[in-house]
Amino acid sequence: MTATGIEGSKAATPPRTGERGFGAMVRRNHLAGVLSIATGLALWELLSRLVVANPLFLAAPSQIVGAIVSLGESGELGHHMAVSGLEFVIGYVIASLLGIALGLAMASSVTAKQVSQPWISGLYATPTIALAPLFILWFGIGIWSKVLVVIFLVLFPVTINTEAGLRTTSPRLIEMLRSFGATPRQIFLKVSLPSATPFILAGLKLGIGRGLIAVVVAELFGSRAGLGRLISQSADAFNMPELFAGVIVLAVAGIAMTAGFSWLERRLVPWTRD
Amino acid sequence: MTAKLAVAGLDKRFDALEALRAIELSVAPGEFISLVGPSGCGKTTFLRIVAGLEPATSGEVRIDGKAVTKPGSDRGFVFQSDNLLPWRTVIDNAMIGPEIAGRAGPAERRRTLELLKLVGLEGFEGYHPRQLSGGMRQRVNLARALAIDPDILLMDEPFSALDAQTREIMQTELLRIWEQGRKTVLFVTHQIDEAVFLSDRVLVFARRPGRVQETVDVTLPRPRALALKRTPEFVAYVDRIWRLIEDDVRASVIEERG
Repeated sequence: MTATGIEGSKAATPPRTGERGFGAMVRRNHLAGVLSIATGLALWELLSRLVVANPLFLAAPSQIVGAIVSLGESGELGHHMAVSGLEFVIGYVIASLLGIALGLAMASSVTAKQVSQPWISGLYATPTIALAPLFILWFGIGIWSKVLVVIFLVLFPVTINTEAGLRTTSPRLIEMLRSFGATPRQIFLKVSLPSATPFILAGLKLGIGRGLIAVVVAELFGSRAGLGRLISQSADAFNMPELFAGVIVLAVAGIAMTAGFSWLERRLVPWTRD
Repeated sequence: MTAKLAVAGLDKRFDALEALRAIELSVAPGEFISLVGPSGCGKTTFLRIVAGLEPATSGEVRIDGKAVTKPGSDRGFVFQSDNLLPWRTVIDNAMIGPEIAGRAGPAERRRTLELLKLVGLEGFEGYHPRQLSGGMRQRVNLARALAIDPDILLMDEPFSALDAQTREIMQTELLRIWEQGRKTVLFVTHQIDEAVFLSDRVLVFARRPGRVQETVDVTLPRPRALALKRTPEFVAYVDRIWRLIEDDVRASVIEERG
């Protein structure tokens, strides 16, 4: 008797031979989504041309595309994107590393958890974005005040998720490892960390949206360049196409990064799929 | 023959609850022993103490004369829920024991591949647990325990989550695998027929406090096939053990209903 006996035959779905990767994912979720977006854009175009018909209040998608193209050709858009991108990346990377480290510390030491828990819960619940003017006052109008705001908004979801992921590791899996005489270090590396990975990734994904908000809002409060700056100066000049151009670029960046992260999750933690 | 496993005066208390009282047991090398009894009779606790996962309150467990204080590679534990690591393939799950012991070399890997073949998982080495049926996952669970080449297998209701047909197949499979290595086995189960079918000896546990009520020697000939379960001798063993625990089981069922 082998595994191809009674329960063997009905078991074991073969490895998926279907399409893999980012392109395939986009194609799978293709049709309904594209139709929905296209309809939305068409309605928007009609609304702004026929109903509102006032370029001071609303720009049509076609005008926005025009603004994006001309801003892109002049190099202005590229400059704003580079500045915002740099602020986001520096802040996000620092916050991720710091958040994971803090989460690890809280999960491994009761004292560390007791000391930091009230701060983290408090600051997570507080709209710390309101501190942006203060940071600009302290650190100037350049990129570092924005980086700090990004850190503040991204750090806490990452920390909280890392800690929760490590804390909720299945006691049964830990016991299994213990039955083989595993040391605490081995238990951490072979069970706790891998089983916390989906949580950590979810925290990092949450951080993308918050980080983008941080960049833009901090730039609105005071900056020399960046997409937030583009939006605020366009608003001051009632230049709706350019204002929307900034918003659209941000939206696309957020969607692309989140989709990239979902793809990464499928690759790194495929066991959480079902 | 000297005992492989010797348990003397073993007590276990969880605060006020007396889980185990005065357990005495001597197991010969290669003996297959089952522990049956109602819920809450401490049979799983007993197995965990032998595994070194739980300390005894008093008394001791000796393996080859050496007292047990912690888990060791002389014992392999097969869990009730398979406890496979979902991110690891079948072979990497089975290799966890050698890996923890720092002996995950090519020789160990070859040996583990052989074990996977023995438990009937040839061709599934690269699969992940989510791609396997319950029966196959329990086969990995068994191979994982065997991979450290233990002297004693400790099995905690390993087939209880499987459907009735799969369970019967797994029982014959377990006997087939056991015949090839003749490890000493302690097997905890709720199923009386499973205990009789597999064992040389059945320890019948009673509850409150958990203790060995009676030991039943099963002298049915080996190797055993499933048809054995329909013989009058087999049924007589099952009847006898059922009568021993019937009152206790009724009491525990009523209690669980509250």
